[in-house]
Amino acid sequence: MGAGTSRAAYPVTAFTVGNALGARTEDVLAALRASRSGLAPCRLDLPFDTSCGAFPGPLDPVPAPLSSHDSRLARLALAVLDGAFASAVERAARRWGRDRLAIVLGTSTGGILESERAFDAHARSGALPPDYDFERQHAFFALVEVVRARTGAGGPAYVVSTACSSSGKVLGAARRLLAAGVADAVLAGGADTLCQTTLRGFASLEALSRRPCRPFGAERDGTSIGEGAAFLLVERAGDGPARLLGVGESSDAHHMSHPHPEGLGARLAMAEALRQAGLEPALVDHVNAHGTGTRANDGVEARAIAEIFGRAVPVASTKGYTGHLLGAAGATEAVFAIFALEHGFVPESLGAAPLDPEVGIDVCLERRAGRFRAVLSNSFGFGGSNVSVLLGAPA
Amino acid sequence: MRSAWILGVALWAPGFRDAAAWLSGAQERSVVAPPAEVLPPMLRRRASFLARLTGEVAAQAAREARADLAAVPVVFGSAHGEVATAVEMMRSFREGEGLPSPTRFHNSVHNAAAAYLSIAAGSHGFSTAIAAGKETPAAALVEAGALLAERGGEVLVVLADEPAPEPFTAAADHPPAGLALLLSAEPRAGARARLSGLRRTAGVSPEVPGALGRHPCSGAFALVAAVAGGVRGAVPIAPGWIVEVDQP
Repeated sequence: MGAGTSRAAYPVTAFTVGNALGARTEDVLAALRASRSGLAPCRLDLPFDTSCGAFPGPLDPVPAPLSSHDSRLARLALAVLDGAFASAVERAARRWGRDRLAIVLGTSTGGILESERAFDAHARSGALPPDYDFERQHAFFALVEVVRARTGAGGPAYVVSTACSSSGKVLGAARRLLAAGVADAVLAGGADTLCQTTLRGFASLEALSRRPCRPFGAERDGTSIGEGAAFLLVERAGDGPARLLGVGESSDAHHMSHPHPEGLGARLAMAEALRQAGLEPALVDHVNAHGTGTRANDGVEARAIAEIFGRAVPVASTKGYTGHLLGAAGATEAVFAIFALEHGFVPESLGAAPLDPEVGIDVCLERRAGRFRAVLSNSFGFGGSNVSVLLGAPA
Repeated sequence: MRSAWILGVALWAPGFRDAAAWLSGAQERSVVAPPAEVLPPMLRRRASFLARLTGEVAAQAAREARADLAAVPVVFGSAHGEVATAVEMMRSFREGEGLPSPTRFHNSVHNAAAAYLSIAAGSHGFSTAIAAGKETPAAALVEAGALLAERGGEVLVVLADEPAPEPFTAAADHPPAGLALLLSAEPRAGARARLSGLRRTAGVSPEVPGALGRHPCSGAFALVAAVAGGVRGAVPIAPGWIVEVDQP
């Protein structure tokens, strides 16, 4: 890697999150504190039973003049991009200038839910629904267009879509855009909705549990899928609850849907995040694991974590709360890492008890309080796309 | 964007096996599928069209630049990605047990093409997949420029899109085509051109004649034509985006 990689630690000045645990950041935090899962039997029309993490309550339609962009994805993103966070973005736009505010968002499926419905309508009636719009609903960029219109950001704006690592990698992009002087503030985040494609797809891989998923547990038998969104504002300078210390990105170069058996890509991503931060592994106080709850993935990840950090670092997976948020997982779990820094706790790794004895790392079987100064969050996706996001307490 | 030097240019479109063929307008009827010899046969059989297209242009550009695909970071840009595979999946939900094939599912992710390339090349390094509608070529250069600023060295940019299948064809009806640019942070003998000054500029739009004018990455094809044509100055590479081109 280039010797010129910057060691700047950019402040995260605001964030917001919503998913099955609640539509608002404080609801999500309260559920994590109380070890309360948001997973429930899935109500989508599927040819199998599974649990999933649905976003609570009805969502408001996308208002004019963007009503042609109306989609569940856009509704969910706008619901989470709430008043306080939007105000922080507006302050950043005024401070740095609108053209210096960039948007980088992760999503794995974009608005494919709308296309699934349109495809079915076409199969039944021979016509696409009149309000269906491929470019404004299905296309990945539609999400950016909605957020761009909501915030008035005038800098570069794009989607990163690398399956389950998408919205971890947006923080890598944010760091680079700031370091290269392309932007002075970056609205980074992710959003994904439940849809037929991912639920039936993971079922075809026999990777879905019928019950709420149990990452690192002896009885784990697959993952659960969820939906949600999270956004973080990263600025060149300012005060905030956390600093973005490093973002390691790597490739397994092994298989499209199986992890590298020795966790090579995972180790490379974690090591690169540490290198960027200039931090020794012993200074990392907690790892929010990718921890999907499948037999193979958790075992490989535990081994990779142990090789980098040893067996004593407190580890938790939060998939047992929210389900696997796919393209929104990285940003959501970056927010959970900030919760650990800000509020001094690692959530109970729901579903992990009784722990798989072969895991061999310190998975938190109950909520653990303490002072956390640096927290790492892993997200690993199809195609062997890995990202590790390292966040630190304010200097 | 600081300066980036173009060390390799590659292109594949139906009828055109490479950038030289496309620039000369010499269409060959026999060119109907990208050969993608960089993908081992087992991998190639499972790969989507977009993954084979990506493998083909990546290998062409790396050959010209004498770059090592195992070591060069990759920025893959595509407005709609694996849309044919996604729609095939929807069809499978209405048949049999209502489940897709596992291969089709993992092939449906936006980073599938970049992932097949990393697996074929044995690259454990940086790889990303982005989308920005018709601004995709500009966004890919933003990301590539930031990578070059961070790390120096080289970066491979691939831009590729296939048309949407029925019943969505009307929304994205263009030839399946793609291109690759091998960019370097440093000048190098034999560089084709220097890029700099990438920025948003209201009112500009790339002009590409024919069916590729409807391609979401049409501005990148315009850039290839401008570089080959010895153009100097601002070239629109996406609606609302220009980049300065200099010839060495």
